Amino acid sequence: MQGLSTTGALSTMNVSPHGAAQHAVLSAPRAILEVRDLEKTYSAATRPVPVLRGVSFAIDNGSFCAILGPSGSGKSTLMNIVGLLDRPTAGSVCLAGETIDYDAADAAASRRNRLLGFVFQSFNLLPRLTAWENVALPLLYRGMPRGERKPLALAMLDQVGLSDRAEHRPAMLSGGQQQRVALARALVANPALVLADEPTGSLDSVTAAEVMALLRDLNRRLGVSVLMITHDRDLAGRCDRRIELLDGRIITDVTAP
Amino acid sequence: MISWPFTATHLSVGEAIAEALDNLRVQRQRSMLALLGILIGAASIVAVLTTAHMAQQETLKMFSRLGVDMLNIHAMPADADATGVLDRTAVEQLPFRDSSVLAATPLNAEHDTVTAGRVSDTVGVAAVTESLARLMTLEMREGRFIAPFDADGLVAVVGVEAAEKLSAPGAPITPGARIAIKGYVFTVIGIVGPQPFTPLDALDVNDAVMIPLGGAGRVFDTPQPTSALVRLRPETDLDAAGRRISSLLANPTATLQVIKARDVIKSMNAQKVIHGQLLTAVGAISLLVGGIGVMNVMLMGVMERRREIGLRAAVGATPGDLGLMFLIEAAVLAFVGGVAGLVCGLLAALVTARLSGWTPSLALWVLPLGPGVATVVGLAFGIYPAIRAARLSPIEALRAE
Repeated sequence: MQGLSTTGALSTMNVSPHGAAQHAVLSAPRAILEVRDLEKTYSAATRPVPVLRGVSFAIDNGSFCAILGPSGSGKSTLMNIVGLLDRPTAGSVCLAGETIDYDAADAAASRRNRLLGFVFQSFNLLPRLTAWENVALPLLYRGMPRGERKPLALAMLDQVGLSDRAEHRPAMLSGGQQQRVALARALVANPALVLADEPTGSLDSVTAAEVMALLRDLNRRLGVSVLMITHDRDLAGRCDRRIELLDGRIITDVTAP
Repeated sequence: MISWPFTATHLSVGEAIAEALDNLRVQRQRSMLALLGILIGAASIVAVLTTAHMAQQETLKMFSRLGVDMLNIHAMPADADATGVLDRTAVEQLPFRDSSVLAATPLNAEHDTVTAGRVSDTVGVAAVTESLARLMTLEMREGRFIAPFDADGLVAVVGVEAAEKLSAPGAPITPGARIAIKGYVFTVIGIVGPQPFTPLDALDVNDAVMIPLGGAGRVFDTPQPTSALVRLRPETDLDAAGRRISSLLANPTATLQVIKARDVIKSMNAQKVIHGQLLTAVGAISLLVGGIGVMNVMLMGVMERRREIGLRAAVGATPGDLGLMFLIEAAVLAFVGGVAGLVCGLLAALVTARLSGWTPSLALWVLPLGPGVATVVGLAFGIYPAIRAARLSPIEALRAE
């Protein structure tokens, strides 16, 4: 995570001109993600449907933050915008000190590759690839040759405790193992922020707890920031911070002591 | 409006091809259907080109034997009541009177019923002289050809096919056998051929009975020849030579028609070109259908693999990477079809050669053409699905079931 503090320092210059009130210049280098006045309105046939109505928050580097909210509260939309997969109607997102230009598709792809790791509820592993090939996928789009990708992927599989499953295909792995492969994939490219969308949503409670513990452990060991969507208050309670959304607005923002 | 979205790509093409092949294996059945059109298209193109190549080789072989510097002078009746004839001596004198003439032979040919024992059949009957054998480089299978001393003798040389037609069990047509034409009985003195048929020949010697020109009056309306085959020096101006020879042979009974070997080759080629064009059109239509098949398979692939596309986009694939992935897959799919088509096309050409009695031969430049054309078709029809993949919205792709 050496590189992150450098980009974090850069963000001081980028962010300060219109810095939100709650972030002093001193705290700015520590923010890995800054979301300001984010609005998203979908244009339906009859009338526009607002999904996000002015969401602002910042996440410190290395923290583990949960986003809570009932379905329709806008948390998935928020996640997609932060993940550079969707564009906001208004407002800005600053990721690792870089203000995002949502018009540049290729630049967004490159930022997703360098700065973000995704974990999905349904794992989204490619069935034809082995575990290590799945883990190495982000490195492929970095133009890294196969020979260099493999050791990095194997090392990451080791971190999630699956070094003995490297040549297995997803169908031969249990749900918990598949999600651990997905975690390794999210982390293999040294991202600044991991976006986890209900990562334990399709696992039984025991496996869910294991995966959650692993995610928490990786967050501490590797110092990677995590933004996790969940509707499980128990899980959210175990995070450093809890942001609750309702009808496109933040209703609670609690930082654990 | 579709703009080209493929930029900023950093994928290794080798790996992309390996992955595309892997994909084809997985969806084998559907790929097969798309391949069929490409296969037929490539196969027909390869078959057309190879067959045309072999036909050309055969024509060359045929004319290298006979020579392309040949003329056939035919006497057409000057008026309806008379028979148009040539003067035998004038024909035989041609080599001495025109320096461009190497050899000339007079003949008279028609179709008649020939009887041998109880068998009778219609075959060509030709009154010829000994010079025909040399001019057409005839080869005897048995016996001898007509010689000067046969004069107007009742002897006949029979072509192999005609001999077969006239043979009966226990009564084969061999030298010594007797055959009857228009009430005259001829003794067979030789069997000739098989001789490659050339369209310039006034008759197909394989399917003919040849008698001495001196006795032509017994069978034909006139004892005089009605045609002359003339061999010219190579590189002779055929038109000029044709005019000179016509004036040397001119007589009041006939209007002379000059048929040039080159014209015959040309019209043969023209016919082949037409056949080739027809097959090429079939090939082109098959390729079009195949291309649409490839497009269909790729579009289905894009739909089915939306989640994969979304995931790849999430981990950093640019729209260009995604488009290129599908484009390469389309090209690989079509290439595989093209290779299969090449094999089928060559087999078809081989069968054609076997059936036509040609020596199989292969034009090397055809080999890359089948797969090459197929790949181009794959690329062309892969563009649209590739653009679709590249323009897929990642969130919608990830949301897909």
